[in-house]
Amino acid sequence: MQLKPRVPLTQQAPARRRLMAASCALLSAGAARSEQTAPVDSGLLEDWSVDSALAYYHEEGRIQAIEPVVDVAKVFADGQALNFNVTFDALSGASPNGALPSRNPQTFSSPSGKLKHQYTTAPGQLPVDPDYEDDRIAVSGNWTVPFTRLDQVTVGAKLSAEDDFFSVTVNASIAHDFNEKNTTLSFGIDNEYDSIHPIGGAPVPGSDYAPAEKQTGGKTKDGTGLLLGVTQVMTRNWLSEFNVSVDRFTGYLNDPYKFISIINGAGGTTGYEYESRPDQRTRKSAYWENRVAWSSRISTASSLRYMTDDWGVRSDTAQLHLRWSLSNRDRYIEPTVRWYRQAAADFFTPFVLTTQKPTDESSDSRLAAFHAMTYGVKYAQKLPGLGSRPESEVSIRAEYYQQTLDVRTAVPQALQGLDLYPGVKAVLVQIGWRF
Amino acid sequence: MPGESLIVEARGSDLLAVKFTAMAGPCEVLMPSMSPPAALAFGAVAAQEAWRIEKKFSRYRDDSVTAWIHRNRGTPIQVDEETAALMDFASQCFELSEGLFDITSGVLGRVWRFDGSDRIPEAAAVDELLPLIGFGKLEWNSPRLLLPEAMELDFGGIGKEYAVDRAYELLAARSSISFLVNFGGDLRANRPPAQGPWQVGIERPDTEKEPSLLLDLERGALATSGDSRRYLLRDGVRYGHILHPGTGWPVLGAPRSVTVAASSCTEAGLLSTIALLRGSGAQAFLDEQGVRYWILQ
Repeated sequence: MQLKPRVPLTQQAPARRRLMAASCALLSAGAARSEQTAPVDSGLLEDWSVDSALAYYHEEGRIQAIEPVVDVAKVFADGQALNFNVTFDALSGASPNGALPSRNPQTFSSPSGKLKHQYTTAPGQLPVDPDYEDDRIAVSGNWTVPFTRLDQVTVGAKLSAEDDFFSVTVNASIAHDFNEKNTTLSFGIDNEYDSIHPIGGAPVPGSDYAPAEKQTGGKTKDGTGLLLGVTQVMTRNWLSEFNVSVDRFTGYLNDPYKFISIINGAGGTTGYEYESRPDQRTRKSAYWENRVAWSSRISTASSLRYMTDDWGVRSDTAQLHLRWSLSNRDRYIEPTVRWYRQAAADFFTPFVLTTQKPTDESSDSRLAAFHAMTYGVKYAQKLPGLGSRPESEVSIRAEYYQQTLDVRTAVPQALQGLDLYPGVKAVLVQIGWRF
Repeated sequence: MPGESLIVEARGSDLLAVKFTAMAGPCEVLMPSMSPPAALAFGAVAAQEAWRIEKKFSRYRDDSVTAWIHRNRGTPIQVDEETAALMDFASQCFELSEGLFDITSGVLGRVWRFDGSDRIPEAAAVDELLPLIGFGKLEWNSPRLLLPEAMELDFGGIGKEYAVDRAYELLAARSSISFLVNFGGDLRANRPPAQGPWQVGIERPDTEKEPSLLLDLERGALATSGDSRRYLLRDGVRYGHILHPGTGWPVLGAPRSVTVAASSCTEAGLLSTIALLRGSGAQAFLDEQGVRYWILQ
């Protein structure tokens, strides 16, 4: 009943020659068809990839934090990508209040954290608020749209909320590939709007701690950042990225819970006053990262960052990650070392003398001169995927951080011998599951 | 559909693989290292085409063209252009293989289940199906088709290789980078990456993981037929899953797997399938075709 006449197969015409002709006919028909019709199935991909982690952070004698993070991403068949990140932080413990250790006990009344309370710091100890507590939740999303073969746009937003703080950031960036996709140029801009509602009110900057001169109502700060970056494939084993960024914040830039000891010539603490920072800050930074695959097993990512701002803070960061794939390549170890050095803000002072009345002042150690080292290692194991996913990965990461303050301010005789500037020692343990 | 996700994975220091699942197997597109979004966008083109072809021709989906043809048995229908091209191709393959390659032989799946057991069907049950097999029994006058009652079409023997070639064409039209499309071991590459030829492992029949054969492929296609995991074993006789459409019984003396290199994956796939159907004559057939091939006995 076949309508087409059958051609007998001859010994002289090997199957292959006829098959080649038939294959060509099939594929050229397909090519013609695909030119005529739009793709039939531009459906959404159903599965999300999920990267989850739980971190425990502990500073010796200070705060501890538990931080679960979930990052989900979905890539659409046309190259669009969506990703969402939810991070929750539960911080608790003891937080330095900015005051200097003293030969005498010091008593503070604190509104920080969730409740108002009093605490006393023993002589020679760094005053810390022992009941510090804060919860933070941050949600962010990004949407990437390739609008040509070489250009893509990403827009995103982030919301972050704490008991006394709310922040909204919107961001947009554009990336352009050229030089056969060996070079990517990107430009990004972001805007941040923060609203601060310090518990117990926002202190008047520079005002006396004891009378607690507080302003009611919230404070705001806003920031704008620009980033210009270039990523270059140098060789097939070497990728280099360089970017520069500038950001500017204006508004209430103080830490409302930090104050400064007022010291007399004999080294005695006569009182405290709230810190007072300038109401604007412009930061510029440059970042250079190189990723090199030295062999099929060993690759490194090394980076340098330089940052400077108009508060006088300058910092250098150098970081090295080494990834070492173990024998069967489904396990790897990633040691990390990071070095950081910072010069103090112009207005940083560990204390003020009764004879001084600076316009801007802060004893916040984050604005002090210090250097820090971080040592870390991550171990990851790839596992069979769940459902239709090809694989999953479990990992554990541990880091040790040690900060040493480099404050050189001359102190009154009576304070000498006290450990005025204890640094920070912290450990971080994170377990991750990606599937 | 299940498995509609893409994953980017580094392959050594300078290659990336975009992986996904289609046609019941792992699929991937290999390319030089690039930014993950660019890699995903590139790989998504292949994935989308694989999923489109799977959805369109699957025997297991109610909304496929195959299911629609089956619902219209005994009625003359007009198929779309792509289905017609595949039917024409199947027709030519039927002829040049002297009836060995037959997309109507899928009905034998009703009695043969190659699950490693010893459940050999009754000879009578097999014989009952033979009248339902034979491409020549279809009325095929492109694009009009009449599928007789109780007969079945199965594009599974062509579909994967066709999908590889289609994905290849779409990717080649999109970019000039070197790439390799690999759908469950059937693959095609446009040209080697900077660091040398593509390394392709061919699965060893007895152990699924260890590739027993590592081939260098610069460009062109490789297809492998044969599946060592699908067989029946009774009284010491191993019945492989390659069924002869004329007898309804497994082909005797067929190699465990045959890999053929050709310029397109469709061509390579058909040559390896026909070679298997030739049973003990597989090697002689391949020698005659003048192609590069690898046989695992």
